[in-house]
Amino acid sequence: MTGSDHRALQAALAAEHAAIYGYGVVGAHLTGPLERAAQQDWAAHQVARDTLESRLTSLGAQPVAAQDAYRLPFPVHSVPAAVSLAAFLEDRVATAYLGLVALDDPGLRAWGAQQVRASAVRATSWSGRAAAFPGLPGQVATAASVRPSA
Amino acid sequence: MPADPRRPHPRQPPPNRPRPPRPRPPRRSVLAAVAMALPLLAAGCKGVGALGTPPRPLPDVAVLDHAITAEKLMITRYHAAIAGSPGQAAFLAPLLAQHQDHLARLASRLLEPKPADAARSPAATPAFPPASALTVLHGAEEDAADALVRHLAEVTPSLAQLLASIAASEASHALLLRSRGGTG
Repeated sequence: MTGSDHRALQAALAAEHAAIYGYGVVGAHLTGPLERAAQQDWAAHQVARDTLESRLTSLGAQPVAAQDAYRLPFPVHSVPAAVSLAAFLEDRVATAYLGLVALDDPGLRAWGAQQVRASAVRATSWSGRAAAFPGLPGQVATAASVRPSA
Repeated sequence: MPADPRRPHPRQPPPNRPRPPRPRPPRRSVLAAVAMALPLLAAGCKGVGALGTPPRPLPDVAVLDHAITAEKLMITRYHAAIAGSPGQAAFLAPLLAQHQDHLARLASRLLEPKPADAARSPAATPAFPPASALTVLHGAEEDAADALVRHLAEVTPSLAQLLASIAASEASHALLLRSRGGTG
């Protein structure tokens, strides 16, 4: 495994740590179906984090640790803000997984692409909007018309 | 599930080592080829055979061609759906616009750009019956997302990222279409 493989995996892991922390904040402001959706997505990020950690460990690297806390991109004190935070977290995770897609290892490239897709779908389920190029810089999501499904 | 590993081009170093960006062959092989050719030329032989077989066409071009064709087809489908379901036009128009963005970015990657004629005009395509338009589009988006990443292992890192991003966009479209009433 090359140094660039390590870096991409660590960057994805760091993004997952941040997402897991952020979903804790998201869930704290939601109830009912939206809270259940947050719990589901939080669980999916934990599975991905575990996958990244064991991959890094099996290759002799020390997986980057989660921070105790993360600064939120904006204050979250309402349901709409919590929903926006969830979509924001997914956008960040999608960008990190595009780093895996750039690797030469076919397995990591394919898994990275699956994760980009999963993150984009979660982002859309929260925001009701799709992006033309999820994970790539300079995105403005458009095409709103649907509330997140329960 | 992981993509099938593809055998590397004979001229490329094994995948686990850092390698120069495609398509240039490593400098060593270019210099070696030149060095081999000189004594043959000096001896009066035609030295072309000593340089080996010409490289195959790059996978990027073939994959780009397929991706561009797929986007043009998708754009045609959206025009047909909008023509058949005017009530859905406001919902579908932004998704169509994103496919036009996809097409533009893919086309810009070709060294010899194809004409920007894009999709056939809406009048050339029969309109869908309204009840099935969203369902057809939902299935088309899911299928397109799957197809785009089928050959990810064969292309350059930068193109792989673009394809994965567009596939993710299409999967997002599929979700919106399903939520709107298109069951896949």
